[in-house]
Amino acid sequence: MCATRLAMVATQVMTLSFLLSAPVAVYAEEPLLERDVLPILTKHCMGCHGGLRQQAGLDLRTLPGMLAGGDSGTVIEPGHAEKSELWKRIASDEMPAGDDREKLSAEDKAIIKAWIDAELPTVSERQQNVDPLLPVDKRHTPREVAAAIDQHIDCFLAAAELTPVSRSDDVEFVRRVYLDLSGRVPTARQAAEFLDSRDSDKREKLIDALLATPAFGDQLGRTWRDWVCPPELPSTGNAGDQPHQQAREFGKWLGAKLTADEPWDKITREILTVQGEITDQPQLIFFGLVGTDAKTTADGSARAVASLFMGVQLQCARCHDDPYRDWSQQEHWALTAFFGRAEGDFNKIEVGKGPSAKPGEIAIPGSAFKNAGVTVPAAFLRGGTFESRDVDDLRGPFVDWLVAKDNPYFARALANRLWFYLFSRGIVNPIDDFRELNPPSHPGLMKLLAGEFVACGYDVKHLFRCICNSQAYQRTSWVDPETDDQVRGALTMAFGRMPLRLMTADMLYDSLRLAYGASILDLRTSVEHVTVGMSSAVADPYLEFQRRFGTNEEDATDFTHGVAQMLTMINHPRLMAGSNALDAIYFPDSLRLPPVDPGRNEDLFRAVKARFVRFTIEQAEGQPCLDELEVYAPGSDTNLALASSGSQASASSLLPGYDIHQIPHLNDGKHGNAHSWISNEVGGGWAQIKLPTAAEVNRVVWGRDRGGEYKDRLAQQYHIEASLDGEAWTRVSDSARRVAGPSDDEPDLSKVVLTTAQQTEAIEWLYLNTLSRRPTEEEATEAMNYVEETPDKRAALTGVLWTLVNRSEYIFVR
Amino acid sequence: MHQPGLSLQRRDLLRLSAAGMLSGVSVPWFESVASAAVNRPRGKACILLWMDGGPSQQHTFDPKRGGEFRTTLTSVPGIRIVDRLPKLAQCMQDMAIVRSMTTEINGHYDAKYFLHTGYKRTTEFEHPAIGCLASSQIGSMHADMPAFVTIDAGWDIRNDGGRLYRNVPAYLGPQHAPLAVNDASQGLENLSPTGNDIDARLQLLRRSERRFAARYRLPAVRAKQEAFTRAVRLMQSKRSQAFDLDKEPAYIREAYGEHKFGQSCLLARRLVEAGVTFVEVVHRGWDDHEGAATPIAKRAPWIDAGMATLIRDLKSRGMLDDTLIVWMGEFGRSPGAGKDHFSKAWSSVLAGGGIKTGQVVGKTSEGKNPGSEIVDRPVTSPDFVATLCTALGIDTHKEFLAPGSRPIPLVEKSAKPITELVG
Repeated sequence: MCATRLAMVATQVMTLSFLLSAPVAVYAEEPLLERDVLPILTKHCMGCHGGLRQQAGLDLRTLPGMLAGGDSGTVIEPGHAEKSELWKRIASDEMPAGDDREKLSAEDKAIIKAWIDAELPTVSERQQNVDPLLPVDKRHTPREVAAAIDQHIDCFLAAAELTPVSRSDDVEFVRRVYLDLSGRVPTARQAAEFLDSRDSDKREKLIDALLATPAFGDQLGRTWRDWVCPPELPSTGNAGDQPHQQAREFGKWLGAKLTADEPWDKITREILTVQGEITDQPQLIFFGLVGTDAKTTADGSARAVASLFMGVQLQCARCHDDPYRDWSQQEHWALTAFFGRAEGDFNKIEVGKGPSAKPGEIAIPGSAFKNAGVTVPAAFLRGGTFESRDVDDLRGPFVDWLVAKDNPYFARALANRLWFYLFSRGIVNPIDDFRELNPPSHPGLMKLLAGEFVACGYDVKHLFRCICNSQAYQRTSWVDPETDDQVRGALTMAFGRMPLRLMTADMLYDSLRLAYGASILDLRTSVEHVTVGMSSAVADPYLEFQRRFGTNEEDATDFTHGVAQMLTMINHPRLMAGSNALDAIYFPDSLRLPPVDPGRNEDLFRAVKARFVRFTIEQAEGQPCLDELEVYAPGSDTNLALASSGSQASASSLLPGYDIHQIPHLNDGKHGNAHSWISNEVGGGWAQIKLPTAAEVNRVVWGRDRGGEYKDRLAQQYHIEASLDGEAWTRVSDSARRVAGPSDDEPDLSKVVLTTAQQTEAIEWLYLNTLSRRPTEEEATEAMNYVEETPDKRAALTGVLWTLVNRSEYIFVR
Repeated sequence: MHQPGLSLQRRDLLRLSAAGMLSGVSVPWFESVASAAVNRPRGKACILLWMDGGPSQQHTFDPKRGGEFRTTLTSVPGIRIVDRLPKLAQCMQDMAIVRSMTTEINGHYDAKYFLHTGYKRTTEFEHPAIGCLASSQIGSMHADMPAFVTIDAGWDIRNDGGRLYRNVPAYLGPQHAPLAVNDASQGLENLSPTGNDIDARLQLLRRSERRFAARYRLPAVRAKQEAFTRAVRLMQSKRSQAFDLDKEPAYIREAYGEHKFGQSCLLARRLVEAGVTFVEVVHRGWDDHEGAATPIAKRAPWIDAGMATLIRDLKSRGMLDDTLIVWMGEFGRSPGAGKDHFSKAWSSVLAGGGIKTGQVVGKTSEGKNPGSEIVDRPVTSPDFVATLCTALGIDTHKEFLAPGSRPIPLVEKSAKPITELVG
């Protein structure tokens, strides 16, 4: 038991003393309950006088509990340690009881005594009536909120006598903001455009532009997916099948909702009240993911909802009152009762079934070792009892309460989580441990963000826009190496500096795909094994990458990779096999595409900025047919051509008389002959996509029948053009690049000669496409020397790329 | 902890060879010991031979009267195993059989998790696998060699038994994840460089890394550069030849059996010799739902040759006392033909590691449905994991912090190591 408490305390000390070490200057030297006293009581006293055991009737978890005293009366006389039973017992080493127990150190004792003598000061009382600096009842502009954010942080820094670091430079900023808001580094062109722009508002404009792309929704959606998913997904107990695909679909669903500006309360309701089959409702997997053994569980749902949507940890309270926090087992099961009449698995949720014998109550199961069998009525957490209405599924009324404007949990939980996402540290830490005795480091800031989030109608993008425009978000991560470790730590936790973070697996995967111009980057070694299905390797390159390069979700500043990951990056043949993105520019001849396929074809080309993409058929048997015409940005899997994203399809003509062959079928996202377009011109015609705004594109995917059934009407010869205005067109790809048979005549790229100017340009392009900057003179010379010494220029440039993706500068987000 | 630099001294060799001779083990490859090129850092090590899918105990180490296989005497009087494992029967003095495993879980995946971690699976967080525990507690993070390696030994007859367990370090940190060998004859994945100019590239990279480290003097940057350096050192280390089975004389390769399992055992020995702390060899497909006799009759010669040679080879090299060998699956099979999963009463085998060998722990019932009950000394999964930890010198009382600040002991507090083996 002793070791248990020790371990527990280690975190408490970390959260509290580290968190509050800076404002010492503000609060003078008197001990405070949360910062100084609780860690000592938690370590030495709460094991016997806490939630699990209350010997002598004493519960020291809260101030009211301490003041209430125990069976023999009061234990604390505020202002008079010498008269306080608590102090006397501790001072005499009578407590902690027993010879084998570690007694309090003289230092700890002094803190307890001083705290009682000072009449029990707390952090919370100092944080009452804190000013958020902006009225919380109306929406403000991002600039106004950003300014208020900075005022809060600057006050804190000044009070703590810390000097914040300077603003990030453009390289740092563009790479950081792309990774945070798009999930990958910028392309060479995007980076160069930003660096070369002289627009004084370019940062604000870039933030707006990135928030408007589907990549933003995708990135936040998959990040949420990972927050929901336990590290090892639940599975059937025997075969061990896991719902990876469903989890991915859930992330995409969430991403689409966020892209479409749906407010967080609406999204929350759609997740938490879902019922029926998973078909067309990918969010249904939420309950399966937080359940057990491929089944949903009412208490698992309640705990996940508490952690993710309320910022509250209830896991210890499942079996007994939380030993250290003020959550009771009763409260855990009262919340669980809301989920007790909806039950299911990975495929469905049925209302009217579940552990609750009747709606609005639940019996504590036998597996909880206290109070098994006791029936608990539904109640909102610290929100009074719930009058059971005449409904079977109480999840609806629960969400009504959760998303109400005055709910104390909902807005702050998301605001704190987003802050954590951007700064690698919450305003409250751990991010799901909001409670009175774990106060925020910046109480006014917390109030401001939560208030703004409510006032703007739970607009997630608005919150991002506010935070990203702050000086705090835009600070550099660089600290003078001579800076004392403690000062650097204090600066980081006071948000006076950006921490250096490790790219998440998703960020790294997408950034590498961009660098290598590959839609799939397979870094597995043993592919022949995986086809059997039972091997340790996984039958999916993305999943395997996720597992291998997974990072510490609780601390993004932690470097977690080991020798296995390093060996993959150093020696995997794929990373030396050349980059399609590089080839498209400097070795266009090498980018031979396979012969046209009736099913699916991919045309990868040098990235261009375009609003219009036109596919023109030059030769086909009969009137040609296109199933779907998809357009992609570099390093992205988001089809920009979809009508649902605001794109429009048009065509030169349409074969009349068929419902299944229509122009809007070109970009409806549905595959197969029944959702296709056929031209009315024998052997010719064109189809075109108009994007909602101009975007950088480098890939077109098309097919005759993605369902694989029909092989007639295939475009044998074609070309693809791009245009910004629909008038001036640039040819980006054509069927001449497709090889007919086995490639005997494949060009020998090892002998392609590049001019010195081309080599210099290629090196610069590689730097921009990976590190989002141009090489320094020294770096350019070093790289050039290496390229000069290598006769095979394509291999040499791939080698330069290898050195770039293996750099610390690459894998860290500065 | 490993103490690098200690090698087998010549007089130790003589002493050990004498021990080998005296115990009646024939050591045809004895001379190879003297020429072993690589010094072995001393320290406890473990080779886990994992029979994925659940091997039948009555067709291996707990034969029953009237069973489908005949039994044979072993080198220890009074202990009998099936006659399909003659070489292992001759190693009995170095082995201990636990016939009273009782582990509650009859589903493959959950049972694999339970037996690898000593904890039942929950969805809230994960527990580290025994190999990762060994890596974190007794592995040397500064040695050239990785602390934990898994070897996929393929399958015979059938490929079933659900998804393979994936060794997860959980809260110990990804640096304790295993390196994977997908095929013993291919060695470690990603160990050799692609292209012929790795040195030039490394040099180019090193310059920029030095500049970055000077600018960002942060623990995370140091950790990245150290991990990278360790990987490069492993690639360039002489010790990494341990991954190359071609360096082994042909007669030794033959002795282990020309089969993926035997060759994986041989690779495991080479790795332990070179300083790896924990090796898990996974042999798949023991989920014999159509009856265990036919498939096990086919697998037995390979298992027998591989494991028995491993024991004898380690012994002749003086490494057996420091190397614990464990043979087990996630559960056993139902009495009789062994068609079903059976977690109630099954067997595991331990060898070497300085434990008390030459004995059987626990006993299952005889009579009408022999093997259906444990009649003596049940051993649970936490007990078993605690036994392995104790044998390896890992402190089982140590506590870790799981996500959510939840304190977790290394093994469940109720666990009791098998004192007959490690007391």
